[in-house]
Amino acid sequence: MKFFLVDRILELEPPKRIVAVKNVSLAEEYLADHFPAYPVLPGVMMVEALVQTAAWLVRASTDFEKNLILLKEAQNVRYGTFVKPGMQLVMEVTALEIGPDASRFKATGRCEGQVALQAKLTLQHLNVADADPYGGAEADALLRPFWRERFRLVGGPAALAAAAGREGT
Amino acid sequence: MPLSRDEIMDKVRQALVDALGVDEDEVIPTARIGADLGAESIDYLDIVFRLEKAFNIKIPRGDLFPDGVLTTEEFVQQGTFTPRGLEELKTRMPYADLGALLKDPKVQNLADVFTVDMIVRFVEARLSGAEAPAPSKPA
Repeated sequence: MKFFLVDRILELEPPKRIVAVKNVSLAEEYLADHFPAYPVLPGVMMVEALVQTAAWLVRASTDFEKNLILLKEAQNVRYGTFVKPGMQLVMEVTALEIGPDASRFKATGRCEGQVALQAKLTLQHLNVADADPYGGAEADALLRPFWRERFRLVGGPAALAAAAGREGT
Repeated sequence: MPLSRDEIMDKVRQALVDALGVDEDEVIPTARIGADLGAESIDYLDIVFRLEKAFNIKIPRGDLFPDGVLTTEEFVQQGTFTPRGLEELKTRMPYADLGALLKDPKVQNLADVFTVDMIVRFVEARLSGAEAPAPSKPA
Protein backbone atom coordinates (compact mmCIF):
# COMPACT_ATOMS: atom_id res chain seq x y z
CA MET A 1 0.00 0.00 0.00
CA LYS A 2 1.41 3.38 -0.98
CA PHE A 3 0.65 6.13 1.53
CA PHE A 4 -0.10 9.07 -0.74
CA LEU A 5 -1.86 11.28 1.72
CA VAL A 6 -2.30 14.47 -0.30
CA ASP A 7 -5.37 14.20 -2.53
CA ARG A 8 -5.31 17.69 -3.98
CA ILE A 9 -3.31 20.90 -3.77
CA LEU A 10 -5.71 23.84 -3.46
CA GLU A 11 -3.34 26.77 -3.14
CA LEU A 12 0.35 27.03 -3.94
CA GLU A 13 2.56 30.08 -3.54
CA PRO A 14 6.17 28.89 -3.69
CA PRO A 15 8.32 29.36 -1.70
CA LYS A 16 5.98 30.65 1.00
CA ARG A 17 2.81 28.68 1.38
CA ILE A 18 0.71 25.71 0.34
CA VAL A 19 -2.81 24.49 1.13
CA ALA A 20 -3.79 20.91 0.32
CA VAL A 21 -6.48 18.44 1.33
CA LYS A 22 -6.72 14.82 2.33
CA ASN A 23 -10.13 13.16 2.21
CA VAL A 24 -10.57 10.39 4.75
CA SER A 25 -12.27 7.31 3.42
CA LEU A 26 -13.57 4.22 5.20
CA ALA A 27 -11.68 2.31 2.50
CA GLU A 28 -8.29 3.17 4.07
CA GLU A 29 -6.96 -0.14 5.37
CA TYR A 30 -5.39 1.12 8.59
CA LEU A 31 -8.80 2.30 9.81
CA ALA A 32 -9.90 -1.30 10.27
CA ASP A 33 -7.71 -1.51 13.38
CA HIS A 34 -7.89 2.12 14.44
CA PHE A 35 -10.42 1.47 15.77
CA PRO A 36 -12.89 -1.20 14.69
CA ALA A 37 -15.96 0.46 16.25
CA TYR A 38 -14.60 4.03 15.98
CA PRO A 39 -12.44 4.61 12.91
CA VAL A 40 -10.35 7.77 13.03
CA LEU A 41 -7.33 8.90 11.07
CA PRO A 42 -4.26 7.91 13.14
CA GLY A 43 -2.27 10.85 14.47
CA VAL A 44 0.90 9.69 12.75
CA MET A 45 -0.90 9.64 9.39
CA MET A 46 -2.01 13.21 10.06
CA VAL A 47 1.60 14.23 10.62
CA GLU A 48 2.66 12.37 7.47
CA ALA A 49 -0.03 14.19 5.49
CA LEU A 50 1.41 17.53 6.68
CA VAL A 51 4.93 16.33 5.79
CA GLN A 52 3.81 15.40 2.28
CA THR A 53 2.09 18.77 1.87
CA ALA A 54 5.29 20.54 2.91
CA ALA A 55 7.26 18.32 0.52
CA TRP A 56 5.14 19.55 -2.40
CA LEU A 57 6.01 23.11 -1.48
CA VAL A 58 9.69 22.15 -1.48
CA ARG A 59 9.40 20.53 -4.90
CA ALA A 60 7.53 23.47 -6.38
CA SER A 61 10.07 25.90 -4.89
CA THR A 62 13.19 24.02 -6.00
CA ASP A 63 12.02 22.79 -9.42
CA PHE A 64 11.96 19.17 -8.24
CA GLU A 65 15.68 19.21 -7.67
CA LYS A 66 15.78 16.54 -4.92
CA ASN A 67 13.86 13.29 -5.26
CA LEU A 68 13.77 12.23 -1.61
CA ILE A 69 12.13 14.64 0.79
CA LEU A 70 12.01 13.16 4.25
CA LEU A 71 10.86 14.17 7.71
CA LYS A 72 13.86 14.98 9.88
CA GLU A 73 12.07 16.33 12.94
CA ALA A 74 8.53 17.06 14.10
CA GLN A 75 8.24 19.42 17.05
CA ASN A 76 5.42 20.77 19.21
CA VAL A 77 2.92 18.37 17.67
CA ARG A 78 -0.45 19.06 19.23
CA TYR A 79 -3.61 17.17 18.40
CA GLY A 80 -7.13 18.59 18.47
CA THR A 81 -10.23 17.02 16.96
CA PHE A 82 -10.43 13.55 15.44
CA VAL A 83 -10.73 13.21 11.68
CA LYS A 84 -13.30 10.61 10.71
CA PRO A 85 -14.22 8.91 7.43
CA GLY A 86 -16.21 11.29 5.25
CA MET A 87 -14.31 14.29 6.58
CA GLN A 88 -11.61 16.32 4.89
CA LEU A 89 -8.32 17.35 6.49
CA VAL A 90 -7.30 20.77 5.17
CA MET A 91 -3.56 21.21 5.52
CA GLU A 92 -1.99 24.63 5.54
CA VAL A 93 1.79 24.78 5.56
CA THR A 94 3.90 27.93 5.74
CA ALA A 95 7.61 27.78 5.04
CA LEU A 96 9.94 29.32 7.59
CA GLU A 97 12.93 28.50 5.41
CA ILE A 98 13.61 26.38 2.34
CA GLY A 99 17.27 25.60 1.65
CA PRO A 100 18.81 23.19 -0.84
CA ASP A 101 19.18 20.33 1.69
CA ALA A 102 16.69 21.16 4.42
CA SER A 103 13.59 23.17 5.15
CA ARG A 104 11.44 24.18 8.10
CA PHE A 105 7.72 24.76 8.29
CA LYS A 106 4.81 25.69 10.47
CA ALA A 107 1.90 23.38 9.66
CA THR A 108 -1.76 23.20 10.68
CA GLY A 109 -4.39 20.63 9.81
CA ARG A 110 -8.02 21.68 10.12
CA CYS A 111 -11.18 19.64 9.84
CA GLU A 112 -14.60 21.27 9.54
CA GLY A 113 -13.14 24.53 10.79
CA GLN A 114 -11.53 23.07 13.92
CA VAL A 115 -7.83 22.48 14.46
CA ALA A 116 -7.01 18.79 14.15
CA LEU A 117 -3.30 19.22 14.63
CA GLN A 118 -0.41 21.62 14.58
CA ALA A 119 3.27 20.93 14.18
CA LYS A 120 6.64 22.43 13.38
CA LEU A 121 8.38 20.31 10.76
CA THR A 122 11.98 20.04 9.61
CA LEU A 123 12.48 18.20 6.35
CA GLN A 124 15.66 17.06 4.63
CA HIS A 125 16.09 16.80 0.87
CA LEU A 126 18.46 14.53 -1.04
CA ASN A 127 18.82 12.58 -4.21
CA VAL A 128 19.23 8.82 -4.11
CA ALA A 129 22.66 9.33 -5.70
CA ASP A 130 23.70 11.34 -2.62
CA ALA A 131 23.16 8.25 -0.50
CA ASP A 132 24.11 5.61 -3.08
CA PRO A 133 26.78 6.77 -5.51
CA TYR A 134 26.63 3.51 -7.50
CA GLY A 135 22.96 2.74 -8.15
CA GLY A 136 21.51 6.10 -7.23
CA ALA A 137 21.57 7.89 -10.55
CA GLU A 138 19.31 5.26 -12.10
CA ALA A 139 16.77 5.60 -9.29
CA ASP A 140 16.88 9.39 -9.57
CA ALA A 141 16.26 9.21 -13.31
CA LEU A 142 13.05 7.29 -12.61
CA LEU A 143 11.94 9.37 -9.66
CA ARG A 144 12.11 12.84 -11.12
CA PRO A 145 9.45 12.32 -13.82
CA PHE A 146 7.42 10.28 -11.31
CA TRP A 147 7.13 13.24 -8.94
CA ARG A 148 6.31 15.64 -11.76
CA GLU A 149 3.49 13.37 -12.91
CA ARG A 150 2.24 13.02 -9.33
CA PHE A 151 2.29 16.83 -9.04
CA ARG A 152 0.00 17.01 -12.04
CA LEU A 153 -2.33 14.37 -10.57
CA VAL A 154 -2.80 16.36 -7.36
CA GLY A 155 -3.53 19.61 -9.17
CA GLY A 156 -0.17 21.31 -8.64
CA PRO A 157 0.12 23.08 -12.01
CA ALA A 158 -3.48 24.28 -11.74
CA ALA A 159 -2.84 25.71 -8.27
CA LEU A 160 0.28 27.50 -9.53
CA ALA A 161 -1.66 28.95 -12.45
CA ALA A 162 -4.42 30.14 -10.13
CA ALA A 163 -1.86 31.88 -7.91
CA ALA A 164 -0.26 33.52 -10.95
CA GLY A 165 -3.69 34.59 -12.13
CA ARG A 166 -4.46 36.20 -8.76
CA GLU A 167 -1.14 38.00 -8.76
CA GLY A 168 -1.95 39.56 -12.10
CA THR A 169 -5.23 41.13 -10.90
CA MET B 1 11.60 -2.01 49.45
CA PRO B 2 8.38 -0.78 47.82
CA LEU B 3 8.56 2.44 45.83
CA SER B 4 6.96 5.57 47.26
CA ARG B 5 4.42 7.48 45.19
CA ASP B 6 7.03 10.18 44.56
CA GLU B 7 9.50 7.62 43.26
CA ILE B 8 6.82 6.18 41.02
CA MET B 9 5.96 9.69 39.81
CA ASP B 10 9.62 10.33 38.95
CA LYS B 11 9.86 7.21 36.82
CA VAL B 12 6.50 7.85 35.16
CA ARG B 13 7.62 11.42 34.43
CA GLN B 14 10.82 10.17 32.80
CA ALA B 15 8.90 7.65 30.70
CA LEU B 16 6.57 10.39 29.46
CA VAL B 17 9.42 12.82 28.77
CA ASP B 18 11.18 10.13 26.72
CA ALA B 19 8.05 8.99 24.89
CA LEU B 20 6.49 12.36 24.15
CA GLY B 21 9.44 14.74 24.00
CA VAL B 22 7.88 17.11 26.53
CA ASP B 23 9.72 19.04 29.23
CA GLU B 24 9.83 17.58 32.75
CA ASP B 25 7.94 20.54 34.18
CA GLU B 26 5.01 19.88 31.83
CA VAL B 27 4.46 16.48 33.44
CA ILE B 28 2.26 17.41 36.39
CA PRO B 29 -0.30 15.05 37.96
CA THR B 30 -3.31 16.73 36.36
CA ALA B 31 -1.77 16.86 32.88
CA ARG B 32 -3.76 14.86 30.34
CA ILE B 33 -1.36 12.85 28.25
CA GLY B 34 -3.41 13.59 25.11
CA ALA B 35 -4.60 17.18 25.23
CA ASP B 36 -1.76 18.55 27.40
CA LEU B 37 1.25 16.41 26.51
CA GLY B 38 0.41 15.74 22.86
CA ALA B 39 0.17 11.93 22.93
CA GLU B 40 -1.73 10.11 20.26
CA SER B 41 -2.48 6.42 19.82
CA ILE B 42 0.95 5.22 18.73
CA ASP B 43 2.46 7.04 21.72
CA TYR B 44 0.30 5.04 24.11
CA LEU B 45 2.11 1.89 22.96
CA ASP B 46 5.50 3.53 23.52
CA ILE B 47 4.44 4.70 26.99
CA VAL B 48 3.42 1.15 27.97
CA PHE B 49 6.78 -0.27 26.81
CA ARG B 50 8.70 2.34 28.77
CA LEU B 51 6.65 1.76 31.92
CA GLU B 52 7.26 -1.99 31.64
CA LYS B 53 11.00 -1.38 31.48
CA ALA B 54 11.08 1.26 34.20
CA PHE B 55 9.14 -0.80 36.74
CA ASN B 56 10.03 -4.29 35.55
CA ILE B 57 6.39 -5.27 35.22
CA LYS B 58 4.34 -6.66 32.38
CA ILE B 59 1.43 -4.58 31.14
CA PRO B 60 -0.62 -6.70 28.73
CA ARG B 61 -2.17 -4.96 25.74
CA GLY B 62 -5.36 -3.20 26.77
CA ASP B 63 -4.58 -3.08 30.51
CA LEU B 64 -3.50 0.55 30.81
CA PHE B 65 -5.21 1.88 27.69
CA PRO B 66 -8.26 -0.32 27.12
CA ASP B 67 -8.49 -0.02 23.37
CA GLY B 68 -10.58 -3.19 23.46
CA VAL B 69 -13.51 -0.92 24.31
CA LEU B 70 -13.29 0.51 20.82
CA THR B 71 -13.51 -2.82 19.04
CA THR B 72 -17.18 -3.63 19.17
CA GLU B 73 -20.50 -1.87 18.68
CA GLU B 74 -21.63 -3.45 21.92
CA PHE B 75 -19.52 -0.75 23.62
CA VAL B 76 -19.53 2.08 21.09
CA GLN B 77 -22.38 3.36 18.93
CA GLN B 78 -22.12 6.42 16.71
CA GLY B 79 -19.12 7.81 18.53
CA THR B 80 -20.69 7.40 21.98
CA PHE B 81 -20.11 4.75 24.66
CA THR B 82 -23.12 2.58 25.35
CA PRO B 83 -24.10 1.86 28.99
CA ARG B 84 -22.41 -1.53 28.49
CA GLY B 85 -19.32 0.26 27.22
CA LEU B 86 -19.22 2.55 30.27
CA GLU B 87 -19.55 -0.48 32.57
CA GLU B 88 -16.64 -2.08 30.73
CA LEU B 89 -14.55 1.05 31.22
CA LYS B 90 -15.36 1.16 34.93
CA THR B 91 -14.28 -2.47 35.28
CA ARG B 92 -11.09 -2.08 33.24
CA MET B 93 -10.02 1.22 34.80
CA PRO B 94 -10.85 1.16 38.53
CA TYR B 95 -8.00 3.63 39.18
CA ALA B 96 -9.33 6.27 36.75
CA ASP B 97 -11.64 9.20 37.37
CA LEU B 98 -14.46 8.66 34.89
CA GLY B 99 -16.73 11.43 36.23
CA ALA B 100 -16.58 13.79 33.25
CA LEU B 101 -16.80 10.95 30.76
CA LEU B 102 -19.93 9.54 32.41
CA LYS B 103 -21.60 12.95 32.02
CA ASP B 104 -20.70 13.20 28.32
CA PRO B 105 -19.84 9.68 27.14
CA LYS B 106 -18.45 10.52 23.71
CA VAL B 107 -15.45 8.50 22.59
CA GLN B 108 -13.55 11.71 21.87
CA ASN B 109 -13.72 12.49 25.61
CA LEU B 110 -12.03 9.24 26.62
CA ALA B 111 -8.54 10.59 26.06
CA ASP B 112 -9.03 13.21 28.81
CA VAL B 113 -9.29 10.40 31.37
CA PHE B 114 -5.63 9.53 30.84
CA THR B 115 -3.81 11.88 33.16
CA VAL B 116 -0.34 11.54 34.60
CA ASP B 117 -1.90 10.88 38.00
CA MET B 118 -4.00 8.04 36.55
CA ILE B 119 -0.87 6.36 35.25
CA VAL B 120 0.85 6.75 38.63
CA ARG B 121 -2.14 5.14 40.38
CA PHE B 122 -2.17 2.31 37.84
CA VAL B 123 1.52 1.57 38.44
CA GLU B 124 1.02 1.79 42.20
CA ALA B 125 -1.77 -0.76 42.03
CA ARG B 126 0.30 -3.10 39.84
CA LEU B 127 3.36 -2.87 42.06
CA SER B 128 1.30 -3.70 45.13
CA GLY B 129 0.27 -6.90 43.38
CA ALA B 130 -3.31 -5.96 42.52
CA GLU B 131 -4.95 -8.35 40.09
CA ALA B 132 -5.66 -7.05 36.61
CA PRO B 133 -9.44 -6.95 36.08
CA ALA B 134 -10.52 -9.58 33.57
CA PRO B 135 -11.89 -8.15 30.34
CA SER B 136 -15.47 -9.09 29.67
CA LYS B 137 -16.09 -11.03 26.48
CA PRO B 138 -18.44 -9.33 24.01
CA ALA B 139 -21.75 -11.20 23.83
